[in-house]
Amino acid sequence: MASKKNNSKEVIALLRRMWLIRAFEEKVSALYAERQIVGLLHLGIGQEAVAVGALSLLRDDDLVYGGHRSHGHAIAKGADINKLMAEIAGRATGYCGGKGGSMHIVAKECGFITATGVVGGTIPLALGAAFAAKERKKRQLAVVFFGDGAGQSGPFHESLNIASLWQLPVIFVCENNGYAEFTPLSAHTKIERLAQHAKTYAIPADTVDGNDLFAVREVMSQAVDQCRAGKGPAFVECLTQRMRGHYEGDPAKYRELSQLAEWKKKDPIARVARVLKNQKALTDKELAAMESEAQALAEKAAAFSLSSPWPAEIEVDSQVYAAAS
Amino acid sequence: MRELAYYEAKFEALNEIMTGDERVHLINGTFLSLSPHRHVFQNLQKKFSARMFAPPISELGFCGLATGAAMAGLRPIVDLSTGSFIYEAWPQVANEAANAYSMSGGQTRVPVVFHLFHGLRGGGAAQHSGSPQAMLWNVPGLEIVIPSSPRDVKGLLKTAVASDNPTIFVDHTRLLDVRGDVPENDKPIPFGVADVKRSGSDVTVIATSYTVQVALQAAAKLAKEGIEVEIVDPRTLVPFDLATILSSVEKTHRVVIADETHQSCGVAAEIAARIAESGFDRLKSPIRRVSTLDVPVPYSPGLEAHIGPSEARIMDAVRAALA
Amino acid sequence: MFVIRHFEENLVALHDRGVFGGHYHLYVGQEATGVPALACLRADDYLFTTHRNHGHLLARGVEPKKLFAEILGRVDGLNKGKGGSFHSVAPSLGFLHSSGVVAGIIPLSTGTAYASKAQKNGRLTVCLFGDGSLEEGAAPEAFNIASLLKLPLLFLCENNGKYGTGRAVAAAQSSSMAAYPLTDLPKAYKIPAQQIDGIDAGLVHATISEAVEKIRRGEGPQFVEAQTVRYPGSATNWPTVPAPTDTALAWDVSQVPENAREWYRSADPLLVYVRELVEANQAKRDEIAALESQVKSAIAAAVDFAVNSPYPQPEEAERDYFAKSPL
Repeated sequence: MASKKNNSKEVIALLRRMWLIRAFEEKVSALYAERQIVGLLHLGIGQEAVAVGALSLLRDDDLVYGGHRSHGHAIAKGADINKLMAEIAGRATGYCGGKGGSMHIVAKECGFITATGVVGGTIPLALGAAFAAKERKKRQLAVVFFGDGAGQSGPFHESLNIASLWQLPVIFVCENNGYAEFTPLSAHTKIERLAQHAKTYAIPADTVDGNDLFAVREVMSQAVDQCRAGKGPAFVECLTQRMRGHYEGDPAKYRELSQLAEWKKKDPIARVARVLKNQKALTDKELAAMESEAQALAEKAAAFSLSSPWPAEIEVDSQVYAAAS
Repeated sequence: MRELAYYEAKFEALNEIMTGDERVHLINGTFLSLSPHRHVFQNLQKKFSARMFAPPISELGFCGLATGAAMAGLRPIVDLSTGSFIYEAWPQVANEAANAYSMSGGQTRVPVVFHLFHGLRGGGAAQHSGSPQAMLWNVPGLEIVIPSSPRDVKGLLKTAVASDNPTIFVDHTRLLDVRGDVPENDKPIPFGVADVKRSGSDVTVIATSYTVQVALQAAAKLAKEGIEVEIVDPRTLVPFDLATILSSVEKTHRVVIADETHQSCGVAAEIAARIAESGFDRLKSPIRRVSTLDVPVPYSPGLEAHIGPSEARIMDAVRAALA
Repeated sequence: MFVIRHFEENLVALHDRGVFGGHYHLYVGQEATGVPALACLRADDYLFTTHRNHGHLLARGVEPKKLFAEILGRVDGLNKGKGGSFHSVAPSLGFLHSSGVVAGIIPLSTGTAYASKAQKNGRLTVCLFGDGSLEEGAAPEAFNIASLLKLPLLFLCENNGKYGTGRAVAAAQSSSMAAYPLTDLPKAYKIPAQQIDGIDAGLVHATISEAVEKIRRGEGPQFVEAQTVRYPGSATNWPTVPAPTDTALAWDVSQVPENAREWYRSADPLLVYVRELVEANQAKRDEIAALESQVKSAIAAAVDFAVNSPYPQPEEAERDYFAKSPL
C-alpha cells in the first residue's frame, strides 16, 4: 500500500522539499538574469505540489521521466541540487558533465531517467521503461510528466493506446497549467481535460487540483497501488499554473496581471504552510526558517556551480558512443 | 542603396508575398524564433490574421495539413521554428510532400514552403540545434534554399513561395540581426544561382547560411596575413550551382567548405564530392571540410563553440590548403 | 460494384501470372461502402485514399483500363507508371494523392479542407482510411485540428476487421487499439461519429448523405465508421480469390470452398445487394446476370489494353520529379 500518511512530520518533510524546489528555481532565475546561465530555461515555480506530491509516493527504484520544465521533478525524486545546478550552468561537475543543460537533466542514480526538450518526447520512452519493468516482475513502475501542450501530439496518443493494450505499469502525470508555450489550451484543442484522452483508451484517469499537495498524493496513491498490482496504467491530471512565462525571458504579455494575482492566492507552498500552522505543527518563525534554509542551500548550490570548472574542450568527443561492456 | 537588418528584409518579403497573393497562408510560428523583434510579426498578424493559423503542438499534423492545402491550390508557408522539430513531421515532408509530384506522374503539385531555423544557437543543446538540411538533401523531390544575407533572404523567399515544388527554407537565428544592402524594388532571386560574396584569388571558401558571415570575418583577418579568399555562397542546395564554384576553383585551385551540418554525409561532403568529380584536375591540394563535429550537440557554451565551424577552424583550413 | 469486383478478381489473376509484382490490396467485400458513399459527393469534392484504393477510384469513375495500366507500371497508367497500386491518382476526379503509409493521408485531408474553407468554394474533403490508421498519432492530431478549425471534412473509416463471424456481430475490439468502439476517438474531439453496417448499401447512402449535408451546412467534420466482414481472399499474405464472383452465387454457394462459404452466403455486400434488388422487384435475376456479363467483357477489354500498353522508357525515371520553376 503506497504510503500517503499525512501526519505532520511527513508533511513538514514534503514542505521542505517544495521549498527547496522553489528556492532552487528562484536562484536559477537570478543566475539567468545575470547571464551566468545561458540557453533555454523553463521554471516550474508554482507547480511544486505536483512534483513533490506525485513523487513522494514512489519507491527509489521507480523510474521517472520529465519534460522541459523538470528541475522540480528531478529534485523531488532526490537529485543532488549541487550537481543539478552545475548541469544547468554547463559545468563539468554537473550531472551530465555540462553536456545536457536544463532540458536534458539525467540523474540516473536517483531514478530520474531523463528530461527532454521535445514536447511529449519522453512519453514513449516511459512506455519502454514500463515494459521493461513489467518483464522484471519486481512491481517497479514508470512515471512520466508532461504538460497540456503534449496532449495534442500524436506520440502521446500512440503511447496511451499501447500502455492500455499491454497493461503497462506507467503513470501518466499531466501538469495542465493551461498554457502550451504562449497559447492557452483552448486555442489548441476543444478538449478541456486531458484525462478525457486516457478514458478513451480505457485508462483510469483522475483530474485533481494540482496546487493541493494532499489531493495530488491521494490520487497518486491510488494510481501507484493500481500499477503495482499489475492492473495497468493510470492517468493523473493536475490542474495548476506556472507563475512565470514559458521560458525565462518570456515577457508573458499574453497573460493578464490579474490572472497572476489570482494564482498567487493558490500558491501550493502557502497552502501547505497554512495547514501546518492551523494544526499548530509549525510556527511562523519555523516556517520562515524553513524558507531561509532552502534559500541557503540554493545559494550553496550556486556557489558550487559557479566555482566549478567548465568542461574541457576535449570532452566533446567523450561519451558519444558507449564502449562495449 | 538602403541598408536593412536581415529580419527586416525577411518581413518585407513576407509582407509583399502576403499582399500579392491571397493563396499564401502562414502556419505555426513567428518566423523569428525567440528574437525580440516580435513587433514585425505582430504587424503582419494585424493585416493578415485570417490567413495565419497557429496550430497545436502537432508537427506531423500541421505539416500534413500544409501539404494537403498546397495540393488544393493554396501556397502555405509553415514555420517549424526549431529545425530539429522537422523530425516530428518527417513522414509528411519526406514521404508525402517530396514524392507527390513525381509519383503522380507530374499531376499533383505541392507548392508548400517548410521554413525552419537550423544550427548552433547558443545553449540550444542536443535537441534544439539540429541542421536537417543534409538529410533533406538526400530526399529527392525537395528544393532546399539557404540564404545568408538580407538581400538573399528577401529574394529567395519570394522564389520559394512562387515555386510549385515543396521547398525547405533553411534559416538561422544568428542571421536575424545581420545588416546588409537591400535594393528598393528588388527582384526574386532564381534558384540554382550561387553568389560570390567576396572575391579573392588564393582559396575558394564555399560556405552556407550563418557560416558565410563567419567566413567573411575570417577572410578579413586572413587578408591581413596576405591571404585573399574568395567566398562562394551556393544560396540553394537544390537546385545546386556547381558551375560558379568550378569557375572559382579554376582561379584559386584550393577549396575549403564550411558548413554547420555534421561532417558525415553533410552538406560539405556532397559539395566536396561534386567538385572532386568535375574539378579534380584543377585542384592543387585536397579539399578541406569545416563541418560541425560528429557528436550530439553539447550544452555547455564552451563545448558548443568548440564543435561548430568557427572562424579559427576556417582560418586553419585555409592556411592548410595553401601549405 | 460489379466493375470493382471483376477488376479486383482479374487483378489477382494478372498477379498470379506474374504480369506485375509488388504488393497490392483488394477492395472486395467493401463495395457497398465505397460505391454509395462516393455517390453522395459533388464532382469537385476532394478525396484521399490509401493503399486499398482501387474500389474508391473506380467508384468515382476512373477508367478501369488506366488503373490496370498503372498497377502494371505501364505508360498509359493513371500516374504514367510512376506510382503503382499504392499511389494511383486521378486529380480531375478529386484524388490528388494516395499514400501507402498508414494514416499518411489523414493530415493531408485536413489541408484540402483548410484550403476549401479559406477559398470559400464549398468543396468538401472525404478522407478514406481503415481501422488501422487510428493507431497512428497522425489521426488524433488531425481530428484535433479538424475539430478546432471546423473543417469541411468527412472521415470515413472502413473497419474491415471482422473475420468470418457473420454479419450480425458488430466489429470486435481490435487487438491493437485500446479504444472501443473506435468512434470514441473522434468523439473525444467533439466530432460527431457513428457506426454503421457497411454491407448495407442503402444505409451507407443515407448515412453519408446526411453527414455530407451537415458538412456543407458548415457544421464541421463528421466521422462514420462503416463495418464490413473481411474478404477471405484478403486474409492471406497475398490476395487470393476463393470463388470467382457470379450473380448465381447470390442464391447458391454450394460450389464455394467450405472455409469461405459463409462469407459469400451472408457477408458479401455485392451479393447482398443483388438479392435486395431482386427481392424488391427492382431488377430481375437475368437482368443482373446480363449486366454482369457486360461488365466482365468491359473488364476483359481493360485488361487487354493494360497488358498491351508499353512500359515507360527507363530514362523517364530521371524526368519530371520537379515542377518547372516560374523563374
